[in-house]
Amino acid sequence: MDFNAAELIPVLPEIFILVLASTVLLVDLYLRDDQRGLNHGITLVGLLIGIGLILALGGGERQIVLSGSFVRDPMSDTLNAIILLVAFLAFAYSKDYLRDRNMLVGEYYVLGLFAVLGMMIMVSANTFLVAYLGLELLALSLYPMVAFDRDSKAGAEAAMKYFVLGALGSGMLLYGISMVYGGTGALDFPTVAASVADQGLDNKVLVFGLAFVVIGVAFKFGAVPFHMWVPDTYQGAPTSVVLFLSSAPKIAAFALAIRLMVDGLGGLHADWQGMLIILAVLSMGLGNLVAIAQTNLKRMLAYSTISHVGFIFLGLIAGTAQGYAAAMFYAIVYALMAAGAFGVLLLLSRKGFEAENLDDLKGLNERDSWYAAMMALLMFSMAGVPPTVGFMAKLLVLEAVVRVDLVWLAVVAVAFSIIGAFYYLRVIKLMYFDKPTTLEPITVGAGARVALSVNGLAMLVLGLFPAGLLGICQAAFA
Amino acid sequence: MIALSDFLILGGLLFSIAVAGIFLNRKNVIILLMCIELMLLAVNMNFVAFSHFLQDTAGQIYVFFILTVAAAEAAIGLAILVVLFRSRQTINVQDLDTLKG
Amino acid sequence: MGFEKFLFYVFAAITVVSAGMVVTRRNPVHAVLYLVLCFAATAVLWMLLEAEFLAIVLVLVYVGAVMVLFLFVVMMLDVDQAALKAQFIRFLPLGLAIALVMLALIVLVVGPANFGLEQFAKPAPAPADYSNTESLGKLLYTVYVYPFEIASVILLVAIVAAIRLTLRRRPDTKYIDPAKQVRVRKGPDRIRIVKMPVEGKVEAE
Repeated sequence: MDFNAAELIPVLPEIFILVLASTVLLVDLYLRDDQRGLNHGITLVGLLIGIGLILALGGGERQIVLSGSFVRDPMSDTLNAIILLVAFLAFAYSKDYLRDRNMLVGEYYVLGLFAVLGMMIMVSANTFLVAYLGLELLALSLYPMVAFDRDSKAGAEAAMKYFVLGALGSGMLLYGISMVYGGTGALDFPTVAASVADQGLDNKVLVFGLAFVVIGVAFKFGAVPFHMWVPDTYQGAPTSVVLFLSSAPKIAAFALAIRLMVDGLGGLHADWQGMLIILAVLSMGLGNLVAIAQTNLKRMLAYSTISHVGFIFLGLIAGTAQGYAAAMFYAIVYALMAAGAFGVLLLLSRKGFEAENLDDLKGLNERDSWYAAMMALLMFSMAGVPPTVGFMAKLLVLEAVVRVDLVWLAVVAVAFSIIGAFYYLRVIKLMYFDKPTTLEPITVGAGARVALSVNGLAMLVLGLFPAGLLGICQAAFA
Repeated sequence: MIALSDFLILGGLLFSIAVAGIFLNRKNVIILLMCIELMLLAVNMNFVAFSHFLQDTAGQIYVFFILTVAAAEAAIGLAILVVLFRSRQTINVQDLDTLKG
Repeated sequence: MGFEKFLFYVFAAITVVSAGMVVTRRNPVHAVLYLVLCFAATAVLWMLLEAEFLAIVLVLVYVGAVMVLFLFVVMMLDVDQAALKAQFIRFLPLGLAIALVMLALIVLVVGPANFGLEQFAKPAPAPADYSNTESLGKLLYTVYVYPFEIASVILLVAIVAAIRLTLRRRPDTKYIDPAKQVRVRKGPDRIRIVKMPVEGKVEAE
């Protein structure tokens, strides 16, 4: 077999991120403790260059290179660029928080960048093997990040729970993949898809394997009843890590679902549709109902994540190009909302003080009306109030399920999102109508301030002019 | 002759034992980690068996990578365990009650 | 009953029994040792499936490195076994029920009806000059070069993560620095002459 160096061109963004992570790892060796900020700078600049590379190399026909392991298509271009953008935001918000807690070290950035690399590999996987390896690279980078604060008891405990349940999810996924391999005799998506289309729905082995694959994907998404790790991990991990793991990995999980269940096992749509309906209804129901009872803001946002996962599933359930585009739109919007919401929490935290309870937001308007306004925009968007983009995202997935005559499902989703609006609006009430417990001003670096403002205003701008992003999402499934 | 189904049933047995082990040993993290290794072994058994009976090497390559990942996973899992033990002096999951879930 | 079949049943039985022991032992050291037995028996089964390279890797890398790491950590942590004994019984019915349901499902699907000898005939044994290792190696460095590189990154992550999580300099640790020992000078470092004010003479008797 000859090796053609031109095959590496579509893989350049991945190679670049790998080089970036290795550079940070090496540079960190030679830095004094007061120079650690340099890692931060290299990472942010590198991520921007990575976005530029993706945009420069992207576009055009679907390319499959490296012996069918790697695929570059419009979906991978868009999702990779957005993953890098969200990771950029996550790192930009975290600097002060990390410095105050002695966590501003090279390893944080190295592990974060490897997690980003894992997500990119998942997004452009064309075989079950590469998808699995990307998933594990992401997960194995996230587990130590959750335990990054070595002196925190809650952090280590959260990491252990995340690790055990994550490994259980991977095991389920692998068992499913082994069944699919037995049923089709192949491990790359195009051959598997052809074989599935050939054998139809009567192959019990494939359906059995599919069930395990869906369970594995549900574990990674954190959908009910495989959500046990989500609240504990969110509460126990350092807020900057929660920001990281609640935003971009959701986009990667969406890509994993598309690659495995649409590219690979698309022929079994009738089977996994039923499984996803159960998961979606349970996730939206339990997520929204339990979130109301939370007093810890991080736990509340964890349950809110679970309910949003239910909405992302709605788009997949539809099984149409329009539905997939709607789900992709939702996943991207959710990642931006989560990044912003946890970003506000990060900025409120100071040395020796973690902003993580609902009470910590009391009277935020009096302390800093600009951040209060941004948080209000993010909360409105999560609740799905027009004209924010969250409303648009919900509308699109609902439209997709109604078009395939699942009206009852849309009604259930609307009912749960109205229940869910309660706890988002409670946050806004706390910020604007309650007396602050402290009047200490919020001191934030200029970079994070600009990033958060862009993030918050994007909710409004994307809500008013959704056509651009929606067009990109639809082009990915055209 | 040994049929493919014999190997697959053996894989299924190992997988079920591993899942049962995860439920039984909710208290003991180190045995939980071993159950995860057992689970991956069951999956590997499936892949090797399929690979042989389909006469397709791709399955064996997959096993090779699962073994690599499992080794990395074990290293990270044990590292987290050590951090946990240092901070709490116990690996009994029941004592892990700082977080309510 | 052929010799192969005999080998299969003996080692399959060892695998299953030792797996059962792993999940029911209270003493983690025993559990690790049973897991080693389980892996060794599995390696024999893989030999029967003509996966020689993987069988050897399983013993060398898995038993030789990963299990030793497990043992090392178990011994280092000094687990209080009495505390772990309690409440095992409480989860027994639930665990057994889940395992049995799962097993029944799996056997139903992968049983002889779908994967018997009629559907998948035993392939002819590989010729004597066929090298399993060579064929895997060729594939690994050509078709699977991309996953191979990803696997190397995963191992790098494991190194970075394990070091970050466990390596720490505690301020109260006392360790020897030979460079400092060598540099010690006799005068100011080793002996310090303290001048004391002379006190009044003790009166002689």
